[in-house]
Amino acid sequence: MNLELPDEAVQFGATAEKALTALGGVDLARDAEREREPDIRLAKVGNAIDSLGADQLDPRVDIETAAAAGELCRVAGRLAIPYPVVAVLLRDPVDLLPFALVPDDRCRADHGDLFSEWRVAAPGGQQAVAMPVGSRFGSKLGPFVTDLTPTGEWQGTAPGDVALHLTLTSWRILGTTERSLELAIDHVGERVQFGQPLSAFQAVQFQLADAAVGTDGLRELCHFTLWRLFADPDAGLADALALRLHAVDTARAVLRTSQQLHGAAGLCDEYDVSVLARHVQPDLRLPFGSERTSAELVEAVSRLGFASLFPQGGLDP
Amino acid sequence: MVGQRPDVATARDLALDYDFGERASKLRSRLREMIAAEIPAGYLGAFTDDPADLHIAQHFCRRLAEEGLLTVSWPEEYGGGGGSVWEQTVVREEMWSHHEPRGAQYMGLNWVGPAIMAFGTDAQKQRFLPPIAAGEVIWCQGFSEPDAGSDLASLTTRAEPDGEGLRITGQKIWTSYAEMAQWCVLAARVGVPGANGAKKHEGITIFLVPMNREGITVRPIRSMLGPHHLNECFFDSVPVEADEVLGGVGQGWNVIRRALAHERVGIARYARCDRLMSQYTGKADGWRALPAGLRQQWVRALVQIRVARLLAYRAVAEQEAGQPRDATASVARLAVTQCDQQVAELLFQAIEDRSLEGSDTGVESKAAPNPAGSSTAAIPERPPFTDKPLSVKGGRQRSHAFLDGAIEDHWRYAQAATVAAGTIEIQRMIVARALLGTRSS
Repeated sequence: MNLELPDEAVQFGATAEKALTALGGVDLARDAEREREPDIRLAKVGNAIDSLGADQLDPRVDIETAAAAGELCRVAGRLAIPYPVVAVLLRDPVDLLPFALVPDDRCRADHGDLFSEWRVAAPGGQQAVAMPVGSRFGSKLGPFVTDLTPTGEWQGTAPGDVALHLTLTSWRILGTTERSLELAIDHVGERVQFGQPLSAFQAVQFQLADAAVGTDGLRELCHFTLWRLFADPDAGLADALALRLHAVDTARAVLRTSQQLHGAAGLCDEYDVSVLARHVQPDLRLPFGSERTSAELVEAVSRLGFASLFPQGGLDP
Repeated sequence: MVGQRPDVATARDLALDYDFGERASKLRSRLREMIAAEIPAGYLGAFTDDPADLHIAQHFCRRLAEEGLLTVSWPEEYGGGGGSVWEQTVVREEMWSHHEPRGAQYMGLNWVGPAIMAFGTDAQKQRFLPPIAAGEVIWCQGFSEPDAGSDLASLTTRAEPDGEGLRITGQKIWTSYAEMAQWCVLAARVGVPGANGAKKHEGITIFLVPMNREGITVRPIRSMLGPHHLNECFFDSVPVEADEVLGGVGQGWNVIRRALAHERVGIARYARCDRLMSQYTGKADGWRALPAGLRQQWVRALVQIRVARLLAYRAVAEQEAGQPRDATASVARLAVTQCDQQVAELLFQAIEDRSLEGSDTGVESKAAPNPAGSSTAAIPERPPFTDKPLSVKGGRQRSHAFLDGAIEDHWRYAQAATVAAGTIEIQRMIVARALLGTRSS
């Protein structure tokens, strides 16, 4: 048993966080949102991520590389980095097109406007090459989401990439979740009401404790799922969907707690927690949200089973 | 995966590696073989109205002891197997998932024995450890009092000087297995609490007291947990000797902290959830008969079980590294106990109103009550335990009743999960204090 990430992956994540924080941290998301052109995202953020060595990372290769990729995604989530890190990490090894999972009925991706061509896959498993249509949404909850349109036929896809996409996106969600909790802890320690810090109130403490249980559990599940993808790739989809389900549910709960403990400030973009809560929404909703994820997991568990101490699922012929 | 994939050799060298290793996997297999051979179907723990169930547990402990598996987690210098923390984890998971076939002895094995190793004198070690290792003795824990539950340091049971020794007077409550235990780990106060500016946990002393000593009265408390689980114990000027003190006079709080820390990760509740859900969907129509809405809850529960297990493993890993954190154990306990209750409710929804029929498995014991029976005594003749799919041909078939009974039993026990061994409110306080970087005053 070894529950720890490889040292190299941890160091890579720390280096990435230091570099991206120095570049602007969460302000990068604020700046990118105001810009109508993609210069900040491509020229500034994209180049910075490449210079970290991300363009040399292929998470399909081995678990050490996948763990480093996971750490980069987690850091990206912590800082709401305005760049499709997961899509770029899973770029096609031949044509180098970024890879996105898209909804069944609407082909769209976060930061879809950044690249002229994408490799996209629907949850059903088919993939196609697609190109952006129009400009990014510019909305509060999907500022960089862009509609795409397939340019060719839908064909079969590598299931491993789907599982890895779901998994690495969950690592990014983990980063946002853990950072929002840290911000809440800082805030309740500083904010004084009724003559004492908010952290002195047991009702506040209990909310923090529950959020910590959620965040810690999600972190452990991220690590475990990455291991599962390499130890038992045939069941990878069930493991990845399980992680996504837990990531989405946990993020919603912890972000809600973190914003609530910030009071009205939690709704204001001057505070990082507000930016985190808005910019994580595409990761929570694309290619599908919690309910659809659980429905997909039911199907996957029926077909593939679910690794546990005792046999679970795997009943359908 | 763990326990099911002992041949995952390719995963052994990975940086992240959740394979327990060959030794632990073999241990898991052997324990399952022994349970299948020794524990009859329908066994739901040692503490039922059927005295044969206690006999089954006592017999099983002796069988484990014969194979050196009862003390697999104990250090070799005390006759144990020197098992790793992960082997200990395997034992916890297999025992709890199969309704703790060691019965009440798990307490002596899990923490009373280790506490005596850590705090006991040589004479105490020689006297108390061999019977525990042989599977011959049941211990109970006299900690909680009517006015000292979560605030345990407020206990008022007192030990007052009397000649060469002391006399203990007071009341304990929620004492599991007190009726059947031969010995009690008893917390009592020596001196006046708060005297000379002392903190209230100072003066607390642990005594190792035989339960048949004059002055001890046990009264069972009727509860939804069934018989033998909850008792009141009255200590009326019970004499104790100096050599019955564990860890020194006034040093009891250290012993208690060790015991409670062990209890927080001690029960692998997620493992029973896991097994019951596996048994349910392993039935011929189990999975397909679930309504669609329940199936989605079902897979969420599978994820919850996995997360709870992983958080427990994190606490174990810290233990292995020699750096256990209270907050990590509390996080695990919060996740595990709440998972236990949610799965209990889910399983109740699955069996619907059959949950009202009780946990009586409908199997009559053929053995005479013999709680103190020897290992050669006949054990009740019941069908062997099985994890194979249970067939349901309509009506309340016997095999169906086994599982319904186990689910009913689990629900009742799960209600205590968030209270026993420190309420989850206390766990939340521990976690919050760690998060906020403050210390308990």
